[in-house]
Amino acid sequence: MTQQDNATTTTTSSENAAKTKAATVARSGRLSVPDLITIGVFTALYFVLVAVATLISTVAFVGFASIFLPAIAALISGCVYMLLATKVGKFGAITVMGAVIGLFLFVSGHFVLSFIASIVFPVIADLIARAGAYRNRAGLLASYVVFSYGLTGPILPLWFMKDAYVASLQARGKDAAYIDGVFSHINTGTFVISMAAIAVCALAGGWFGQRVLRRHFVKAGIV
Amino acid sequence: MTAHPLALDPRTKLFLLLLANLLLFFHVHTHTEIMLVTLTLLPMLPAGRWRMALRLGATYAALVAVSCLVPADSPNPWLHLVALLAVGLRMMMPCLITGAYAFSTTKTSEFVCAMRRMRMPETIVIPCMVVIRFFPTIVQDYRQIRAAMALRGVAEGRFALVRHPMQSLEYVLVPLMMNAANVAQDLSVAALTKGLGRPGTHTSLTVIRMRPVDWLAMIVCATPLALDILGVL
Repeated sequence: MTQQDNATTTTTSSENAAKTKAATVARSGRLSVPDLITIGVFTALYFVLVAVATLISTVAFVGFASIFLPAIAALISGCVYMLLATKVGKFGAITVMGAVIGLFLFVSGHFVLSFIASIVFPVIADLIARAGAYRNRAGLLASYVVFSYGLTGPILPLWFMKDAYVASLQARGKDAAYIDGVFSHINTGTFVISMAAIAVCALAGGWFGQRVLRRHFVKAGIV
Repeated sequence: MTAHPLALDPRTKLFLLLLANLLLFFHVHTHTEIMLVTLTLLPMLPAGRWRMALRLGATYAALVAVSCLVPADSPNPWLHLVALLAVGLRMMMPCLITGAYAFSTTKTSEFVCAMRRMRMPETIVIPCMVVIRFFPTIVQDYRQIRAAMALRGVAEGRFALVRHPMQSLEYVLVPLMMNAANVAQDLSVAALTKGLGRPGTHTSLTVIRMRPVDWLAMIVCATPLALDILGVL
């Protein structure tokens, strides 16, 4: 509690030094510089967890590495999301986190569509969390599930690569029925499973995150 | 600060990344893809990343070989799976190569400067800066947490973390997040002292400039893609 008070004092004094107009804007719930820094710090943690999830899914599902990446990331990063959402507690925090992750995924060589997914889903997640004023546990859990779909961007190229392979098979004189036979049981089923896995893992991860939050951070007065 | 005469501007690197992504969109022919991959490997050489260029180039060549060698009429579905993966990875390679180049040769200050010049809002620029700044801290914290755990006899050894995944997740993540919350506080104070919260445009010590070599790189790399889409190549 004292820490939070300190943070508010720093904010207001610096903004008084700046224009008074800026101060009124910040009070009405816009993200201030300390908020943005907090978002950055937790986004870095989230990004590291995504890297860990990539590692896990590469080891556990060789070949199908990236299909279960969002699910595993959802399972382990619930704590970070919950802490960020409750700590900042303003509209925009979740959106900015998603956008920054999308940007980093793009710069580190992921498909550009992942950028779109990692903006659209976090915005929806942000709206859901705001409906619960960033305090309602069920609301936060629901928003975390939606947020987790934002990571589906990196696995979207799998659709494209299937098309490309089918095209190259057709170019080599294979008929469509044969190709469908090869892929029907590989793709559709896997994608339904991976999408369902995201929801299940996000629920579990989010619940775990909220439990950790209550056990450690509320007690320590950080939230 | 004088840059290498052949070093590219961060914005050119972003443009190359976009081109690599367009490759995925337009299902270009294999020879166009090979040409573009070769072109995007070239800028790594003046940056002194020849080993990285060699490794990525070799991987790409192997993937091309695998995807061409599997016969189209093979009845074995597993062989098709391998070829499918090879084709998929091969299509990702241009993005990965340009990404590796952009990531390993751009300084934080250059990246930030480029983002500001592209009129990215501060709400995005500041978290990006913090993310880059915070990665080394996470690594250092993780080492200290593992040392502290070993001292107390918790999860000692190489595979101990894997044996109780949820428990180790909690034991590692909670201290990391506690520290992250504190660092966020400290960084805020430092940043506000340095005037990050001030309105208006901020100056930068790092200067970035588009030079002829940048335009040349953009045109040379865009040409094969454009020709392929128009159906000439």
